[in-house]
Amino acid sequence: MPAAAEVTPPDRATPVLELRGISKLFPGVRALDDVSIPIHAGEVHMLLGENGAGKSSLIKVLYGAYQADAGEILHQGRKVTIASPADARRLGIAVIFQEFSLVPFLDIAQNIFLGREFASRIPGHIDHLGMHAEARKLLELLGMEQDTHTKVHQLGVAQQQLVEIAKALSQHARILVMDEPTAALSDHETERLFKVIRRLKQEGVAIVYISHRLAEVFELGDRITVLRDGRKVSSLLPSETTPDELVHLMVGRAVDTSYAREFCDRPGELALETTELGSDRGISGVNIEVRTGEIVGLAGLVGAGRTEVARAIFGADKVTHGQVRIFGEPLNGGPDVSARRGVALIPENRKQEGLALIRSVQDNLLLASLARLFPRGWFDPAIGRRVSVEKIDELRIATPSPLRLVRYLSGGNQQKIVIGKWLNAGCRLFIFDEPTHGIDVGAKAEIFTLIGELVSKGAAVLMISSELPEIVHVCDRVYVMRGGQVAGHLTRAELTEANILRLAMHHE
Amino acid sequence: MSVSLALRHRFSAGAVALGYRLVVVIAMCAALALASDAFFTESNLINVLRQAALLFLIASGLTLVILTAGLDLSVAANLGMSACLVASVLKSTGSPLLGMLTGIGSGVAIGCTNGLLVTALRLPPFIATYGMLWVLHGLSYYYMAGGTIYGFPPGFREIGSGYLFGVPIPIYLMFLFLAIGWFFTARTTYGQEIYAIGANPTAARLSGIPVKRRLVLVYAVSGGMAGLAALVYLARLNSAEADIGEPLLLPAVAACVIGGASLFGGVGTISGTLVGALILTLVLNGMNLLQVNANWQPFVTGVIVLAGVWIDMVTRKRTEDRL
Amino acid sequence: MSEMPTLAVQPRRLRAALAATPGVAYILLLLVVAFGMTSKDFLSGANLLNIGMQSAILLMLALPMTFVIMSEGLDISLGALLTLCSVVLALMLVRGNGLPVALAAAVAVGLAFGLANGLLVSVVNVPPFVATLGTMGMAQGLALAVTDGQSVVGISEYVQPIYEGGIFGVPIPLAFALGSYALSHWLLYHTRFGSYVFAIGGNREALVLAGVRANLYHIGIYVFGGCMAGMAALLLTARTNSGHPTAAIGMEFDAIVAVAVGGTSFERGDGWLFGTVLGVFAVGVMRNGLNLLGVPSSLQVVSIGLLVIVALFVDGLKRRP
Repeated sequence: MPAAAEVTPPDRATPVLELRGISKLFPGVRALDDVSIPIHAGEVHMLLGENGAGKSSLIKVLYGAYQADAGEILHQGRKVTIASPADARRLGIAVIFQEFSLVPFLDIAQNIFLGREFASRIPGHIDHLGMHAEARKLLELLGMEQDTHTKVHQLGVAQQQLVEIAKALSQHARILVMDEPTAALSDHETERLFKVIRRLKQEGVAIVYISHRLAEVFELGDRITVLRDGRKVSSLLPSETTPDELVHLMVGRAVDTSYAREFCDRPGELALETTELGSDRGISGVNIEVRTGEIVGLAGLVGAGRTEVARAIFGADKVTHGQVRIFGEPLNGGPDVSARRGVALIPENRKQEGLALIRSVQDNLLLASLARLFPRGWFDPAIGRRVSVEKIDELRIATPSPLRLVRYLSGGNQQKIVIGKWLNAGCRLFIFDEPTHGIDVGAKAEIFTLIGELVSKGAAVLMISSELPEIVHVCDRVYVMRGGQVAGHLTRAELTEANILRLAMHHE
Repeated sequence: MSVSLALRHRFSAGAVALGYRLVVVIAMCAALALASDAFFTESNLINVLRQAALLFLIASGLTLVILTAGLDLSVAANLGMSACLVASVLKSTGSPLLGMLTGIGSGVAIGCTNGLLVTALRLPPFIATYGMLWVLHGLSYYYMAGGTIYGFPPGFREIGSGYLFGVPIPIYLMFLFLAIGWFFTARTTYGQEIYAIGANPTAARLSGIPVKRRLVLVYAVSGGMAGLAALVYLARLNSAEADIGEPLLLPAVAACVIGGASLFGGVGTISGTLVGALILTLVLNGMNLLQVNANWQPFVTGVIVLAGVWIDMVTRKRTEDRL
Repeated sequence: MSEMPTLAVQPRRLRAALAATPGVAYILLLLVVAFGMTSKDFLSGANLLNIGMQSAILLMLALPMTFVIMSEGLDISLGALLTLCSVVLALMLVRGNGLPVALAAAVAVGLAFGLANGLLVSVVNVPPFVATLGTMGMAQGLALAVTDGQSVVGISEYVQPIYEGGIFGVPIPLAFALGSYALSHWLLYHTRFGSYVFAIGGNREALVLAGVRANLYHIGIYVFGGCMAGMAALLLTARTNSGHPTAAIGMEFDAIVAVAVGGTSFERGDGWLFGTVLGVFAVGVMRNGLNLLGVPSSLQVVSIGLLVIVALFVDGLKRRP
């Protein structure tokens, strides 16, 4: 592990906010580990890190959603506690999320002052004139020309974002945290946002800015902090580093070598082939091939469109363009058709999309194979039980009985049940979306062993994952998504974390 | 080890819940027997079973809809409309067979329409069936024009008023449909799929279950049972009016809720609904015996529905917290 | 926004203006024209006044219903509640209490049920449809129970003046209607309560994040409905000249239709109060017109039922871009 390099330019005063030794632990996972970051007024502090590096945990600590387990927070040099969003507000900390908290059918002024409406002398009556005048002033500060009476739903994303910023400013925010603010903006709107940010800098506002676009980091940033695995890896000035170095700082995690796989050197028949696939969820021109015996990875940043590709293939989303072929035959229709054709989707959000939590292990294991096991419609619980017990043994699912409700099982076991459900259905193409998400280290190796067994027995696997070391360790080859399209393809020889990240992050 | 835990190791959760409710039934019978001499007479008990049977017939179909996290508010109006149609068919053709076919047919047709409103038009079930309730209400009143149709062929009347070995036919129907209902929910793939849809419609869909088709089926069955109940009701009353079904909506919902069906879907059984119908009928019967003004019955039923829903919500929260 | 050649702008602008005009305006226009042509009495002054008077009661239910629907809820107990309040009002009058006391009692009953609805929906988290189904049953049952199924009569002397008198020359029903609209308009567009109604329907989390006690205002929405039902009871009792235990059962359905036709969305926190007024007129016109044509009220319900299904379908289409 490279030593953390502390850089403090000589002319800076006390940081307006400072995190010292912040740690946050969850069962089996260190979300944050001894992180110390100074945030200075009038500076744009870039926060970099790949998925799961700890950025969102850090934000949550900053605005009071999480309480740190260790470490302290200093405001203007004095120790403070941020136990709730109200505390954060009082300290002048405001967070602009990617999903805005705006009320669509109220106007700009009403949204800015939601909860803090101006009272007039008539009891209960809102002082519209005063409120709108104040809102007008804030919008002018941000260079926004919209009429404050415009309803927020009529605004574009960029303008809604500015309204959010206005809201933060109206609460006298001195520290603004922005999470991927340019993700949904056009180039022109991004420029406008940068102008606003620079103006705020001049006013002395501190900005913590999370981004994956390295170009932005260098254009706008005054200071860069890189997180990895919950730890601060480095704190640098943009003038002292290069995009390549940043990429290398972000990757390079220790690999869990408890699972080793024999890679596929002779892939079998073409199980999945997509041609110019596009859906109404923002993906287009996707061309992917998966053969039996292979584990093909699908990498990319959050929001790049990986899950959308999986859903389009499976028929969960409407395919608007292009075609999907399963073992040579075109696949059209919804999930019920796909399931019958032997395609399985193990969703990222297993609790909401993969399991019926209030039903038993047995019920869930049979969920996708009812038609296949009982073609005439007569359900025989004895057969059902036998099949479930077989799967429970085969997958080593830890449950006292097949009748136990799934909600009581651990994440790893729940995931095994989702996989088991599809094994019962006799599938040959498996699409995994974040298969080890929220699973502790011990169970992860088991899941990968399972997946490995699947392909060695003749199935084909398409695997979406945000854990780069796992992709490198497990996949035969990888497609990298970016902005709803396939940005590139890496063969086994080219498969390194750095290469994946480069393709995913718009930096060749 | 507490009693409930001990029980839960031997029996499934469903069986335990049913057991608790049966205990309630027995306790109520005991209490009513003490409170009134008129309770434990043959005529009163048969009466209770008759009422419970009729209620069960409607509520059993409704249970299936509730299992999918939906609600069919039009069941009572469906019963009314179907009953009026059956009545006029009986009067004009004199054929009990045609009457029965009309009843079931009308019920199923209305149910299918509900199903299509929910799946094809994507209307929320509560709203779709609520609208249907008023449409049927209006149609029945228009059709009957304020009049009554009475005097049905004796063959037909057997359904409601007839006896077999001294037991009224409706009670046989109750047990018959208890068996059919149990079989459908516990021994067919459709039943398993319906529970899955109620428990998590997204996961069900993503597991390859044809959700829309099953929903239409469920509403069609609910409608069909309303049609069947119309036959029984008609056969007993020997007359039909436009508002014949109106008072049955709340009791039907109450029976399902008391029986343990959760309005959030995925939980509930046909046998539970049967016991629920029994419990509700006992409550109302008790009110009658204790000379409480009959006008209080709708109020009490409303309170019971709310109490049942509240209990369902509280127990759900408790088990979620325990995680 | 791209620039367009001036010639091509004209038809575009017209189409945009047509699209921006709310659908309810078209529906109302259509209905008025249709009935005006088919029935000679329809457009007479006396008839139009009649429609106005009769719509006043529906308006007093539809206005709070707009609030409820905007908050992504539904209140199907309002009809039964109005009935119960009317019965309470009549009973109080018969027992010798003056009009003010009787009205206060009616409003108190409305308030109590509204509070129950609000608590069930926001604190216990019962789905609004189910909660109000239960309270509807209770209200309906109570109305039947306390009157023993009979109308409460003998109150003409108290209520006669309501329908015949006026406030500064304005007939009382119209005065109530105008007052209710003014109050609702002020509440929705000029108070925090109203802003929060939009928020509860549009983005409840935003409200909670802003530190507002959302539950309080959520309950308030249903309490508003209950109180309006209580006030409307005066008009209802005056019109039927009695406290009839099933007088307004089902009126909530007309109210929901009026709100839906008026353009208020069921799922976005979007609402147009004046649209509800137009919707109320649309329903009133439809009923009146069908009456004049001799269509029995039972079938009227059918056409209104179909209206709501159409309105909801259109709303669903609007939601899916």
